[in-house]
Amino acid sequence: MGSYELYRKSSIGMSLTDALDELVTNGTISPLLAVKVLMQFDKSMNEALQQRVKSKTTFKGHLHTYRFCDNVWTFILENALFKTDNEIQHVDRVKIVACDAKIISR
Amino acid sequence: MEAFCQEAQTTSSMAAELALEGSQPVDLVKHPSGIIPTLQNVVSTVNMDCKLELKTIALHARNAEYNPKRFAAVIMRIREPKTTALIFASGKMVCTGAKSEQQSKLAARKYARIIQKLGFPAQFKDFKIQNIVASCDVKFPIRLEGLAYAHGHFSSYEPELFPGLIYRMKQPKIVLLIFVSGKIVLTGAKVRDEIYEAFENIYPVLSEFRKVQQWYAHLPSLALG
Repeated sequence: MGSYELYRKSSIGMSLTDALDELVTNGTISPLLAVKVLMQFDKSMNEALQQRVKSKTTFKGHLHTYRFCDNVWTFILENALFKTDNEIQHVDRVKIVACDAKIISR
Repeated sequence: MEAFCQEAQTTSSMAAELALEGSQPVDLVKHPSGIIPTLQNVVSTVNMDCKLELKTIALHARNAEYNPKRFAAVIMRIREPKTTALIFASGKMVCTGAKSEQQSKLAARKYARIIQKLGFPAQFKDFKIQNIVASCDVKFPIRLEGLAYAHGHFSSYEPELFPGLIYRMKQPKIVLLIFVSGKIVLTGAKVRDEIYEAFENIYPVLSEFRKVQQWYAHLPSLALG
């Protein structure tokens, strides 16, 4: 069972990658172990977002562009409003990438 | 990479066109009923005559959907004229949603241009209007049962399946959906004159089966007037 590697590009994922790089370079861990850690990170991120994150946001905006290819939706919204419990955030332009969580877990 | 199908919004010219249409008197020679059915959908096809890489198109063009598991074509939309195209790997394309023949052709040309810009040697062969759908409102209720009985050969009226009467006219070969409310949908035309002809054919029949509302008879002043 694989997980999306989407979150490796997030700041926490980038930091982890940097740290692992350093450990591999100075010979503390093997490259194989570093790869295993990253795979566990992918899995844990997906689990955490599915099970532990309870906060919700709704958003709406003018749909400038959409695309559906390889089971990935891409949306570009203009003048979008993001609403969380107690906050409204306006964004001029935002890109949303949505993957199907069910497809990869099968 | 993403600079395709960026068309200017020409809604103002559309509005002007509509206003003009409203102010023009109806040509009673062509439309004796005084009602002109409004075109709602025009479907056209064109052959771009080159093999297409659908995944490349889906990845590089905007507003495209490609799900080969469900449907073997790229579904693409543009905003002006507001239409949807089905683009097949064979290079054939179906363009739907336009409100006139010219708009359908213009939209088809725009889609072909997008395909060209993605690097395919797209041509514009055998453009053809495949179907025209129009609708109108005669503004009086209709006795569908009576109509279905009198025109049994052309009519199919099964209110438990569908509330409208389906009238298959032979000449011109047009299908009409006739509703109690007096709203009419006409479809199956290749040219708009078939729509107009079919409507002028059916209008006297609709008048014949106009529903006379019972409460009207109880108001003598109105009934006399």
